Amino acid sequence: MEIFLQQLVNGLTLGSLYALIAVGYTVVYGIVQLINFAHGEVFMIGAFGALATYLLLFQGQTALWILPIMIIGAMIASVGTAVLMERVAYRPLRNAPRLAPLITAIGISVFLQEFVRLFFDKVPGTDFPSAKAKIPFPQIDVVTGRAFHPMEGVTIQRAAIFTVAMLLLSAVGLWWFVNKTKLGRGMQAVSQDPDTARLMGINVDRIIVVAFAVGAALAAIAGVAQGLQITNVNFKMGFIAGLKAFTAAVLGGIGNIQGAVVGGLVLGLAEAFITQYTGMLPDPFGQFGGSSWKDVWAFALLIVILVFRPQGLLGAKVVDRA
Amino acid sequence: MTVIDTEVQDGRARPQRGAKVLDAEQVTMRFGGLVAVNKVDFDVHEGEIVGLIGPNGAGKTTFFNCLTGMYKPTSGTVKFYGEVLPPKPRAVVKAGMARTFQNIRLFGNMTALENVMVGRYCRTTSGAITSVLHGPKYRREEAESRSRAQELLDFVGLGKSSELLARNMPYGDQRRLEIARALATDPKLILLDEPTAGMNPLETQQAMDLIFKIRDQGLAVVVIEHDMRFIFQLCDRVLCLVRGEALVWGTPGEVQSDPRVVEAYIGGSELEDDEDEVQA
Amino acid sequence: MNLPTLPDTLREQHSGKGWPLALVGSLLLLVSGLLSWSFDPSILGDISIAFWPASLQLFAMILGAVGVLLALMHRGPLHRLGDWFDTALGLRALGTGSLLFVVFSLVAIASEAGGLVNVNPGGWLALAGALLLTVGARFVPQRQLNSFAKAKANPVLEIVVIVLGMAAILFGAAYVLGRDDPWIFVGFLVMAAVAFMALARAGFFTWMSHVAQRHRHVLTLAAFVVAFLFPFTQDGSDANMSIATQVLIFAATAIGLNIVVGLAGLLDLGYIAFLGSGAYVGAMMSNAASATIGWKPPFIVVMLIGACVAATLGLIIGSPTLRVSGDYLAIVTLAFGEIFRLSMFNLDGNNGPDLTNGPNGIPGIPDLNLFGFDFGKPHTVFGIQLGRFSNYYFILLLLIGFIILVFTRLNNSRIGRGWVAIREDERAAEAMGVNTFGLKLLGFAVGAFLAGLAGTIKAHQDTAASPDQYIFLESAFLLAAVVLGGMGTVAGVLIGATILKLLPEKLRFFSEYRLLLFGLLLVIMMRVRPEGLIASKRRQLEFHEDDEELAQEVQADHLIDAAPEAAR
Ligand SMILES: Nc1ncnc2c1ncn2[C@@H]1O[C@H](COP(=O)(O)OP(=O)(O)OP(=O)(O)O)[C@@H](O)[C@H]1O
Ligand SMILES: [Mg+2]
Repeated sequence: MEIFLQQLVNGLTLGSLYALIAVGYTVVYGIVQLINFAHGEVFMIGAFGALATYLLLFQGQTALWILPIMIIGAMIASVGTAVLMERVAYRPLRNAPRLAPLITAIGISVFLQEFVRLFFDKVPGTDFPSAKAKIPFPQIDVVTGRAFHPMEGVTIQRAAIFTVAMLLLSAVGLWWFVNKTKLGRGMQAVSQDPDTARLMGINVDRIIVVAFAVGAALAAIAGVAQGLQITNVNFKMGFIAGLKAFTAAVLGGIGNIQGAVVGGLVLGLAEAFITQYTGMLPDPFGQFGGSSWKDVWAFALLIVILVFRPQGLLGAKVVDRA
Repeated sequence: MTVIDTEVQDGRARPQRGAKVLDAEQVTMRFGGLVAVNKVDFDVHEGEIVGLIGPNGAGKTTFFNCLTGMYKPTSGTVKFYGEVLPPKPRAVVKAGMARTFQNIRLFGNMTALENVMVGRYCRTTSGAITSVLHGPKYRREEAESRSRAQELLDFVGLGKSSELLARNMPYGDQRRLEIARALATDPKLILLDEPTAGMNPLETQQAMDLIFKIRDQGLAVVVIEHDMRFIFQLCDRVLCLVRGEALVWGTPGEVQSDPRVVEAYIGGSELEDDEDEVQA
Repeated sequence: MNLPTLPDTLREQHSGKGWPLALVGSLLLLVSGLLSWSFDPSILGDISIAFWPASLQLFAMILGAVGVLLALMHRGPLHRLGDWFDTALGLRALGTGSLLFVVFSLVAIASEAGGLVNVNPGGWLALAGALLLTVGARFVPQRQLNSFAKAKANPVLEIVVIVLGMAAILFGAAYVLGRDDPWIFVGFLVMAAVAFMALARAGFFTWMSHVAQRHRHVLTLAAFVVAFLFPFTQDGSDANMSIATQVLIFAATAIGLNIVVGLAGLLDLGYIAFLGSGAYVGAMMSNAASATIGWKPPFIVVMLIGACVAATLGLIIGSPTLRVSGDYLAIVTLAFGEIFRLSMFNLDGNNGPDLTNGPNGIPGIPDLNLFGFDFGKPHTVFGIQLGRFSNYYFILLLLIGFIILVFTRLNNSRIGRGWVAIREDERAAEAMGVNTFGLKLLGFAVGAFLAGLAGTIKAHQDTAASPDQYIFLESAFLLAAVVLGGMGTVAGVLIGATILKLLPEKLRFFSEYRLLLFGLLLVIMMRVRPEGLIASKRRQLEFHEDDEELAQEVQADHLIDAAPEAAR
């Protein structure tokens, strides 16, 4: 039972993180039918943005009020990156064959990782540490520190609570944005029928930028949460997180925002439980559990989902018109 | 069903009707709430040209898709020479049923000859290893495919265009090329989805001659058309579909004079209505 | 390399003056190479001596020679050739390019010797020549051209051109690999690129593709002879041969990938796993101390087993194509690739059965020994010593020959046509009786099989197999070789693979920025030339569906080969 509860906690934490990143895949896909493969890097840059803000302004401090400012720093970095890449790399390819944006995305992804790795310590006027190795992420009062033990054998990290709370907050904010603001409604209109939306006078280019920006903002939050959770950041952190978040987006039905959140949570839980319970099987099967096989299971799940349920958990099967 | 005699029309003797090639019973296709094809019975005999008419959105193309395995009908059976075929386009082609598309679907970046050679694919078998080794079977098959493809191009009147890219060809030629490609699969029954859409009167006349020529080769033909004059001159029997249902099914004369047909067209869209962007 | 074009009226007014200017410019460029370019004899392989051209001077002379050739084809003794080649466009490209090259050279001299004061008159003369050529070429009017499809073939001339071209490649490769000075190395590349562009603009390569169609066998033979001779130009040194073998493995794998991507039209982001499975099979069945399989069959058998294991994986990875396509398929293959790597990382006895030794991999794989021929020992042939890497080079050459054979023959067969049809319109292909799923699986299986073959050799050549060799980035590199070089062509992939492997090896100073530039390169390529440097005509058409002009051009040139002679 403790094991179950512990994995439930782990799964929800992990899932919240995936959900935050997955929204970025989903909003962009819903509008331009593009898998922004470089979104994982946007998340990574969010984490580095937060770190840079901290190092620049608050080095050595731990007060809680710093956190919102770090999140803002993270968002500036992420949103800036995402908007720039939309403008420079993706927009010119909007009518190109599907292969072109995908390869571009891989290019951007590699470029951004390397950019951070090579130049993080070369920002003029600062003495940031080199990003070639892991960099410790700042510890902040209240959200990091001693973990809770609600019962024997169950540990809840403070950062985990923070992550879940941020997901809730973001979900509410996102709901408000999509349904109550003009931009958000425009976004919905474009994703349902871009041509009509254009005829109705909606500036589709602008909506696309907004979609990239919204996704990036949530990824930035995820970046901070991840930094707090594993207490360090590194330039490679976006790759696997991005892939898994993409899985979550597909699981929830790509293009569907609520779906992305549900998908993230389901994926996180599935990953936690599969890893845990495979490890408890009798040998030789038990050897395939544990953290070293965790990613393998996540990827296997990804394949199974893409192959057998590409429309997601919530979506309906689409008939291929001939 | 009335048996059609060897009545003379258009100066051509209609050959005696042969065995039943295609037999569709109670074919129904639903898309969600929409019933695109509703319990349609249909049959085609050897050496016969059958027309399929109906206003836009009547379900003609969908019916074709059900016959050729592109869709799996919601209910009903399709028998080809008495056998039920699996709803797989490839199996259907292999059995001897080939089709063309309403909105031309040629392989644009292949030459005309290559397009037709793709049609030969299902009648050839050389695999990866013989292809790499250039074994005797490969050479024989390749030469055969090529000469057969050229023959078919000549047959449809495109003999000189074999090296043109399909996407560069004029519209009318593209339609004929699609027919040649379908013929390359050695079909016993060929289904043509609006073969004269967008053609001028001369081209339409040529298309009609071509269809007669195909029939004279011993093939059965099913044609979807909106051009009534064309259909009534060409076909031995005509099925009129309206909103997915078989309204009238009989000789051109019967269909032509049926008041329900006229009404369906006036109630639906106009008689000779060509502009349609509906999926093929 | 395109300057804004001149208004036509201006060009017509001065059309008479363009040609002499361009000719004089080219001659100046040619002559400048004979003069001294710098005071400092210690830099850039000594370009200080008059009448003894070295490095940059030689390159300038080559560009000058190309210019003279093009100019004389436009007007003068060779003007008949001008009916076929677009000399005006060629000269324009050459002009801009030469200017770029000379400026690059001057910068090189200045930075190596400390300032422009070190530039001798030769260098300035070259600059003047390049300027004249650039300006003159702008005013050279274009001529009415004949289509090569109507050209009468002159087999002897054509074969001579092929042989000369191949010899030039051999010579150039040996030369450039012998340069350690990065300035000279890059200078050579700039010069080669400029000459290439100029000839391409003039239509030389269109002609070559016709020639290649007529003399496919001669061309292939010549290419292999050149590749075969390459180790003999290295004086027994293994330094370049080591790079060359790496390029070959990489190219062989990339051509295999090109079957999947370029021919079958499927994106595979986990392709490195097939090379890896071949390598691991090779390693596990080798005589290495930590090899995990006791059975040691002869290497040929190991090769086949490795290839079959890879092909089986290929079938597994390909099976989702029944239901998935496009971007999703790409992600599925990526996931498979990662699962492969992680599994190799984990299967160390503690996490699952002991197959791969986990993160340490299987080191100490002994050299190949085929029929008593020890690949680890140097051998002397015709008095020239060939080292360990040369031995591997030869076996890899055989392998790549085989892979190219498979590639081209499949491409020209019924199966190749099926693949094109699937790429064009999968549903229509299916409706015409093409076994779409089977063909896609076949693409994956064949590609994987070939990569598996390469992998078994790679294990021995690297003397180790470890998981960190088979990361996603390597798959991305392979894909980049295909995308950069050209989809659906062998020559393109060879060039792409060479660029991607050779440059980082030769230009150590930028190795730190290698990946950064790589990422950038992908982004730029997709924008500028998504079909790659040397794309198959058909692929090019596919990437430019609305370019009617291109379609007419390709058709007029009969470059899509409806009648491969091989089938006759
Ligand atoms: N794959 C599909 N999914 C949902 N609805 C479909 C699908 N295919 C066809 N339909 C619908 O079924 C109906 C019949 O369409 P169909 O294309 O068969 O008509 P048609 O008789 O061929 O018309 P036209 O003369 O315009 O070609 C239409 O309302 C169409 O929208
Ligand atoms: Mg229709």
